[in-house]
Amino acid sequence: MSMMKFQTVERDSFFSRLDFRPKLFMVAVVTIVAFAWESPVLQLGLALLIMLACLLVGVKWSYIRTVLLIMIPFYALLLLTHAFFNRDHVMALKGFESVNQLSRMFTFPENWPLIGGGFATWEGLTYGFNVIFKTLTLTLVIPLAVFTTEVNNMIVAMVRAKIPYKIAFIFSSTLRFFPLLIEEFRMIIEAQRLRGLAMEKMGLVKRVRVYAKVAVPLILGALVKSQQLEVVLQSKAFSGSPDRTYLHESILRPPDYLLMIFFALFFVVAFYLLVVYGVGSFGGPI
Amino acid sequence: MFEPIAAFKDVSYKYPRSEEFVLFDINLEIRKGEFLGLIGPTSAGKTTLCLALNGIVPQFYGGRFFGGISVSGMDTIEHPITALAGYVGQVFEDPETQLIATSVENEIAFALENLRVPREVILERIPQALSVVRLDGMEKKHPHELSGGQKQRLAIAAAIAVQPSLLILDEPTSQLDPVGAEEVFATAHELNRDLGMTVVMASHSAEEMATYADRIALLSHGRIIALGTPDEIYTEIEMLEGNDLRPPQVATTFYSIRQKGVSVPRVPVSMGDALPLLEELGRHPANPDFALGKPSQSSGKPLLSVKDLAHIYPDGTKALQGVSLDISEGEYILIIGQNGAGKSTLVKHFLNLLLPTEGTVKVGGVDVTEMSVSDLARRIGYVAQNPDNQIFNTSVEDEIAFALKNLDFDDREIEARTVESLEAMGLTHVRDMHPLALPKGDRARVVIGAILAMKPEVIIFDEPTTGQDYRGAQYILDISRDLHEMGKTVIVITHHLYLMPDYAERVVVMGKGNILLDEDIRKAFHETKILRSTFLSAPQAVHLSREMQKWDKDFPPLLAPNEFADYFSLKAMPHEYDEIPNR
Repeated sequence: MSMMKFQTVERDSFFSRLDFRPKLFMVAVVTIVAFAWESPVLQLGLALLIMLACLLVGVKWSYIRTVLLIMIPFYALLLLTHAFFNRDHVMALKGFESVNQLSRMFTFPENWPLIGGGFATWEGLTYGFNVIFKTLTLTLVIPLAVFTTEVNNMIVAMVRAKIPYKIAFIFSSTLRFFPLLIEEFRMIIEAQRLRGLAMEKMGLVKRVRVYAKVAVPLILGALVKSQQLEVVLQSKAFSGSPDRTYLHESILRPPDYLLMIFFALFFVVAFYLLVVYGVGSFGGPI
Repeated sequence: MFEPIAAFKDVSYKYPRSEEFVLFDINLEIRKGEFLGLIGPTSAGKTTLCLALNGIVPQFYGGRFFGGISVSGMDTIEHPITALAGYVGQVFEDPETQLIATSVENEIAFALENLRVPREVILERIPQALSVVRLDGMEKKHPHELSGGQKQRLAIAAAIAVQPSLLILDEPTSQLDPVGAEEVFATAHELNRDLGMTVVMASHSAEEMATYADRIALLSHGRIIALGTPDEIYTEIEMLEGNDLRPPQVATTFYSIRQKGVSVPRVPVSMGDALPLLEELGRHPANPDFALGKPSQSSGKPLLSVKDLAHIYPDGTKALQGVSLDISEGEYILIIGQNGAGKSTLVKHFLNLLLPTEGTVKVGGVDVTEMSVSDLARRIGYVAQNPDNQIFNTSVEDEIAFALKNLDFDDREIEARTVESLEAMGLTHVRDMHPLALPKGDRARVVIGAILAMKPEVIIFDEPTTGQDYRGAQYILDISRDLHEMGKTVIVITHHLYLMPDYAERVVVMGKGNILLDEDIRKAFHETKILRSTFLSAPQAVHLSREMQKWDKDFPPLLAPNEFADYFSLKAMPHEYDEIPNR
């Protein structure tokens, strides 16, 4: 039985051949633009484009589906809270002066205890969608960059991008050892079930308590492993110094420059349209 | 004159916060081009001695260090670890934690990069190092994709890529199956013999050490108490046993025969040494009263029943196919086979941790899929390999009571069973201690006690002897025998076949997801071809017995050194042997 591994894209594509630095630039631009925009339509468009790009470069649909499934409760909560409670913020964005200017979706009858008289607004709901698509974009753009890059190329590119080597090393070690931790977590839960712990019959609170108990052996195991790792690193002449050679090279080629130019232009155009014409603002032209 | 490559001069060392010296007054010269074996019980100081050779002790750990060590003319205190790393390559015990990169080529490149070796040179050294350990063409693979033996060979490749003067291997085979262990020993032997690399290896594998090492140093309580050739060390049976060490079985066999008054010209330490002595031994009269014990016939009721079981993992791996097996109450069964043979997959079906792709598994006539894992836990106890993953509580008592609380026993019953289990495992005096504060052997007892408290009918031990020294392994197996004598059905999975003749009755040999053989232990261990087909090797006593059968077809199929001793004992007369030269 194979141990769990981080998902990597095996398909060779234009994107997987790129250096990691233009991809980092892409992540930065998309993140800033997604934060700046508050239009649900544009956010939806951006999220769909990123999702399409993920699928085109070979990120598996099963991964995207899992992300969506995990996020559904969070999204539902976002929609409800924005629809019912986000009033001052959307009023300020819309330039409304009174709550009555908001379009009501429905109102709870006055005689209902606690929630009687509460109402949801279309503006709040729309803003909720904006937040949902924003988070979806951010959730998918990172795998788009990370899954399509070999970890060791990523490290060299990070060092070339002036990110300290120690941070780059921690990043790569996490990718190496996180699956081991997950495996250990699975084994501990299995051992607890074999001592009569009926997880299937438990409520949420009790399950959380069980998971808390897993922390004891898991953390102790991780501490032992981290000390072993330190000794191994020492024996391999590791000092954390960036003064070292690299097996992999990080060279920017024409397609890398093209991607960076494209996203630089996208950034400039998006902000020009936002500032001058309000394109991307909440309640703007689009 | 032998040229030393490393030398310990009056070395003593104490870890910070440790009360006793871990190394004491060590004087040792490691000769250029030799294969030096390090043996000793757990906590003898083997790992510390290995770590002292590349300066990690004391530079990384701190503590109090006396004396001096030089490696390739460099003092290990005066030179930083990063400088020493260019001269000393080290391979550790755990295949998982010592591979730190995400690809094979990067693993080899890592130390070279740190040592600022130019990229062009690194590119040359990667295929060279992989070729030496026979992992050619695997540059792009992820370490996860390698078997245990391949992982350790990769660790060796990474160590030798630096072109060190000295290669240290600290228990490199203790967590491997026999195939993996053989791969690692063969690689270390080739490096030593063909490339002249100096090798220092700490290991409990007595048979392999006797075959490959030029010299052996025996450590006990931080001191070197013996240093000599394998012939000199492994023939000192009493000294070895006094230090909880296991001699090669061939040595124990001849030593036991000699102890019965039979004149044996010498005690051989390897099979190659023993073979010339067998013809003479065969002429020795046998004990007329000697009789093999009859295999015990199970009279218990059927308890576990597996019929046409197949299991395919989600990634398509066919782990089991067409497996049928019946286990009766009160049996002691050994399940063996190489890694990936399907042993653990099979027992996980008994516990409902895995569901059959095809076929059925029944416990007491009830299909396990109709029971929950927690229901099954009352009937079948499972002791996994690493006790530390099975400890969740802050006191031994809470750990023992953990399952009982989960199973909703009333307070009185919980108290009664906890006390009973603590007593059975001899843990009453440590009931208030944190389980993780106990030594490893005791932690294993806590886990077994916690499982015993549920009073299961069946207890499964999955690789209980892996990572344990001889005494630790025997200790756990003795507990399994006690449980068997209490009427429990015991199932043990292990690669350490030499330990099992005193315990197991029936053996199920698995290979590639099938049951290859299901016989009583004597017949099973003598089916050496079948064992070999699943990369297992019968104990040396079995091989000796089979060699004897070539001279005397009536020679009984013996399993263990004590049976040889009994066979040649009592009425036997001292026998004169011709002088047989040592190898």
